[in-house]
Amino acid sequence: MTNRVALASLATLLVAVACSKPPAPAQPAPAPAPAAAPATAAADSAARAAARRDSLAAVARADSLERAARASAQADSVRAQVQRAQADSATAAVQSGLSAADSAVLAEAVHFDYDKADLAAADLPRLDRKLAIFQAHPRLEIQIAGNCDERGSDEYNLALGERRASAAKRYLVAHGVAAERIDVVSYGKERPLDGGHGEEAWARNRRDDFAVTRGAN
Amino acid sequence: MNRAAALALAAALALPGALAAQDTTAPAGVRVGITYTPGTRPSIAVLAAGGAVLDSVRTILGRDLDYSDRFEVVVPPAAAAALDSGGLPNYRALDALGTDFAVSVVASAPASPDPRARAAVDVQLHDVRSGAVKNRVTLQVGDAGGEALRRAVHRAADEVVRWATGAKGIASSAIYYVADGHIWRVDPDGADRVLIPTAGRPSLSPAWSPDGRTLAYTAFVRSGQPIVLQDLASGHRDIVPGTEYGMNITPEFSPDGRRLAFAHGDENGTDLYVYDLARRTATRLTVGRYYDNLSPAWSPDGQRIAYISTRPGLPQLYVMQADGTGQEALARFDFGSTGMTYAPEWSPDGQAVVFHREVAGTPQVFVLDLATRAVKQITGEGRNEDATWAPDGRHVCFVSSRGGTRLLWIVDLETGRMRQLFSTVGARLPAWSPGHASLEAG
Repeated sequence: MTNRVALASLATLLVAVACSKPPAPAQPAPAPAPAAAPATAAADSAARAAARRDSLAAVARADSLERAARASAQADSVRAQVQRAQADSATAAVQSGLSAADSAVLAEAVHFDYDKADLAAADLPRLDRKLAIFQAHPRLEIQIAGNCDERGSDEYNLALGERRASAAKRYLVAHGVAAERIDVVSYGKERPLDGGHGEEAWARNRRDDFAVTRGAN
Repeated sequence: MNRAAALALAAALALPGALAAQDTTAPAGVRVGITYTPGTRPSIAVLAAGGAVLDSVRTILGRDLDYSDRFEVVVPPAAAAALDSGGLPNYRALDALGTDFAVSVVASAPASPDPRARAAVDVQLHDVRSGAVKNRVTLQVGDAGGEALRRAVHRAADEVVRWATGAKGIASSAIYYVADGHIWRVDPDGADRVLIPTAGRPSLSPAWSPDGRTLAYTAFVRSGQPIVLQDLASGHRDIVPGTEYGMNITPEFSPDGRRLAFAHGDENGTDLYVYDLARRTATRLTVGRYYDNLSPAWSPDGQRIAYISTRPGLPQLYVMQADGTGQEALARFDFGSTGMTYAPEWSPDGQAVVFHREVAGTPQVFVLDLATRAVKQITGEGRNEDATWAPDGRHVCFVSSRGGTRLLWIVDLETGRMRQLFSTVGARLPAWSPGHASLEAG
């Protein structure tokens, strides 16, 4: 049981690394989890003190730094993101005990129409290919993450992403995968793959991501 | 799945009592509207005796009074702006200029030999025509740093607004917002931005408790997206039972602070629950098997909850009693033509609901007048979304892309005046405090 939890959290960590590449990061510090709160107290109070120190001039300076950071983040190409994602998924494959080919099949995303959570017929083979891997590796568990494009409110998109992740789960469960092996999460529009603002970027961002949370070993 | 069972149990225990449908709507008349006629506001001059501290008090005070949008803040020529040796304004000269009120900022007479007692500032409101002091407050600025001084001045500004107009000011309120996945607090004049350390990143949808002491928000942590209740003084965090797993979003305290409405989403959809803080139990309010319900907004009397439902297909504005009964559409919509509608917030006086709605694919802020059920679009330039009411019920803060980048803006619904809150790009999900911000906050 301990093993399982350790493995799961390791895998989650890898997933988190793989997923935490939003297009506009000016990231000062990693997210403090609740359990880690005391450890970050010093950093927190330092941040608070720093924030308090701000005169209007300091605010203006911070703003210009932030703008510069954002501009350089936007210059970061989608191509670089894809390469990073591939590198991360190769690492995850080694950890999960799955072949690189199986890992790639598992990681294949499915996509959605605007404001819809219905699976596209063209995407069903992508889900069917995952079924065989579940059968071959009875210990395998995954997390499906629903994502949205930038249109619609931040909060509504969390609900929409949840429906999208659930749609893929329902399909896999209907085709024989035990429900306990699939966890769902929604990231709404918090984690776009493509930071662009046109239909092409939106179509890429309306997706379910699949990540291994417990390996085949 | 334990969490589903827990919530289902809580739902089964809920008693859908049939509360009488108390209508909180006010008598007829469109209250919200850009009805201001120039020249109808009283004019006010803020005068200081000189010196760095007094000058910065005068500057902050003048800006607060300007941002209240209840006065024409005027700067009289030097001769009329001077205070006499007793700290009194030149009433005759100001009256000749047509000034209605004057605020004087002078060093307070030493009350005791204690050096800190000397560092006090007297703020007086004068009725220029009658040449009399209307009211006064003494600010202990002593060893106070910049932020404490600013807070004291904000409180004095709200006193001046109350003395002069009888209305509630907003200078000592505060606004939470999200930027870079963190929750921040800012004063309504755009200064004193403070990072609130939270559990998880991003942390979204900050919500104020009525006493300002507790912050509720959605935290993205490894196990899911719980609703966190965070005590601002101690930093202590408590997860709302039943929200440890799954998606839990859009928390909103009831006006009495005893309950917290939020949306819980899982594979069966997203539905509204209300959590009783004393009993530590959650009750299910909606059952939308094939549609989502989210973004609860309490009426100020705590009797009703406005919310967003996808029951008609696209998300639209609905309302129900606080026990979940009587669910119905709140703002009229036409199937297929009315745009997607989001993020309602009930006005402090209970007479209106602000929300945003897609117009030709672009979100715009609207106000629904509950007496007439008329909706009025109050923005038109760029994308405008996630509006929140100021405690004075006449200002609204929202996210706007007018000017090319997404920033927080404030509009005065009476005059139509717009101002940018501050210039940080990417700030979103603003939440204005229901009253004066707690001093312990942050």
